[in-house]
Amino acid sequence: MSKLLEIALGLVTGIGGFLEAGSLATSAQAGASFGLQLVWAIALGVICIAFLVEMAGRLAAVSKHTLPDAMRERFGIRFFTIPLVAVVLVSFLVLASEIGGVALALQLATGIRFQWWAPVVAIAVWLLLWAHNFGLVEKGASLLGLVTLVFVVGALKLHTPLSQVAADLVPTLPKEEPAKYWFTAVSIIGASVSPYLFYFYSAGAIEDEWDESYLGVNRMVAGLGMGFGGAVAIAVLAAAAMVFHTRGIQVDQYEQIPLMLAQPLGWWGFILFVASLGIACFGAALEIALQIAYLVAQGFGWKWGENIKPGQAARFSLTYTVAALLAGLLIFTGIDPLKLTIFSMALTALSLQVTVVPLLIIMNDREYLGDNVNHWVANAAVLFVSVLACIVALVAIPLQLLGS
Amino acid sequence: MQVGQALLDQQVIDRNCEQMGKVDGVVLELGKGKPPRVFTLVIGGGTAARRVHPGFARWLVRWRRQWGPKDDHPLEIPWSKVLKIGVDIKVDLEAEHTPALAWEHWVRRHIIGRIPGA
Amino acid sequence: MPEHLRFEDLIGRVVRNSHGRAVGQIEDATMEPDGEDYLVTHFLVGPLGRMARLRAFLGELPTLRGLGIGKERDLRPLPWHWFDLTDPERPVLTSEAPVH
Repeated sequence: MSKLLEIALGLVTGIGGFLEAGSLATSAQAGASFGLQLVWAIALGVICIAFLVEMAGRLAAVSKHTLPDAMRERFGIRFFTIPLVAVVLVSFLVLASEIGGVALALQLATGIRFQWWAPVVAIAVWLLLWAHNFGLVEKGASLLGLVTLVFVVGALKLHTPLSQVAADLVPTLPKEEPAKYWFTAVSIIGASVSPYLFYFYSAGAIEDEWDESYLGVNRMVAGLGMGFGGAVAIAVLAAAAMVFHTRGIQVDQYEQIPLMLAQPLGWWGFILFVASLGIACFGAALEIALQIAYLVAQGFGWKWGENIKPGQAARFSLTYTVAALLAGLLIFTGIDPLKLTIFSMALTALSLQVTVVPLLIIMNDREYLGDNVNHWVANAAVLFVSVLACIVALVAIPLQLLGS
Repeated sequence: MQVGQALLDQQVIDRNCEQMGKVDGVVLELGKGKPPRVFTLVIGGGTAARRVHPGFARWLVRWRRQWGPKDDHPLEIPWSKVLKIGVDIKVDLEAEHTPALAWEHWVRRHIIGRIPGA
Repeated sequence: MPEHLRFEDLIGRVVRNSHGRAVGQIEDATMEPDGEDYLVTHFLVGPLGRMARLRAFLGELPTLRGLGIGKERDLRPLPWHWFDLTDPERPVLTSEAPVH
């Protein structure tokens, strides 16, 4: 496949694949509660994830190692268990959130409560992974995910003041409800900098057999893909801001949320909202279940791969099977998917140090990357955002928990 | 070359480039008046767990003995079988015939293999 | 004297000199080919204590180094024949090793 086509495909993946339960929920909540004020949080998260995704791709292309591979080898089994456990736990909660998102979309479409959809969705996720076609997962989900561009249409139709959006790229202090403001900011960053994004990306680079000649493609895909994806998230925030915040509407029920697109786009808005929610979350669920399996299998040296028959990589397949089914079970218990989503995003932000610092150390190791080690800007950007997110999360999460 | 860096926790592949596991342990041979020699590479059987926490490892071994394959013991690869040390460590063995894949076969036979489409 | 020992059991063990004073912790070992075999030439001994090891671990990040925190891994290669590994859990330096 020509490099240009790869870039185009990567862009589509970035746009279509960026939005999922986490970014949808956190951006919508931010817009509804604080208008356009928190646009900077999305921008900060996007910058951070763009650097991280580029790093994961570069690591795979140059060293032919995936991230979990390299982490086990570089740090030894003892230190490896810490990020292993942290990422698996957090990813599991995010996976459950995604399944919850699909279930919610189905509830909005049919009226049947999300709990009953949870096992159906979990099995559907499993079935598609069982079909062992990585291309299908990677590209199919992202192409369909382009439906989320409807948020951009909606935000524009609502006459979102673009100059205000640009102005709010600069961080500002909250005028009211500071605990909720910072908690929401931190959840947004957690939603953008989800570890599953760069873990999955590194496995994908190996599955697609990238080498050093793909470094340019990698940079373009990471930068533009995440950038445009972030723009869609900003559109979600803007739509929520224009529909809810400007009218002072408090969102307490799920049935209200599609209003943000139904308002500007009518009946089609509602349909496309439900479709976007369902498709975006389903795609993310596929990727996260796979990513958990990649992490465990690569960390322990098991046979792995999404393009081979499940029986050929039995432990790997068992891992994503168990992950998907347990996550479905969690939603089946009736736990509020929206609350779970926002909480797991905040947890992601809190655990960023554990998930990101090992990657940074490896990215500066010449044994793995030769001359392609990190530029100091990349190190600084990622360190800054992750430390910031961690500190803010440490303060905001308890405050929010106490408050609610 | 450093033993820990080049050998420990590195991916091992067999002569057909199939993944066998990670090097969980390295056995050194000591001799009077001679430098220690790298003797065998050890894969699996709870070796890695011992490095994480010995108590956890003991519990794990008991659990594995109850459930799982009967031939679940560590695989010791003699140094003479090591073909190449690079991105992975290639060894002159056939993975399918070693206990390294004992659990893989067990999961395949008892769980994954029972589901249609595997 | 044990004929075989597990290398990974040595990692992190405190090394004492012939006077019983702790001199560091074994972090790794260098090996050199000798025909078909690989022989251990030196054991790499690092600083004692958790804080020192944590600082060494964090110091590997160039950005932190640029900020002045942390430094290159402070490992001393000590020749293999300075070590008495009769008790692998308590490695000691033989009288061959200079006392410092």
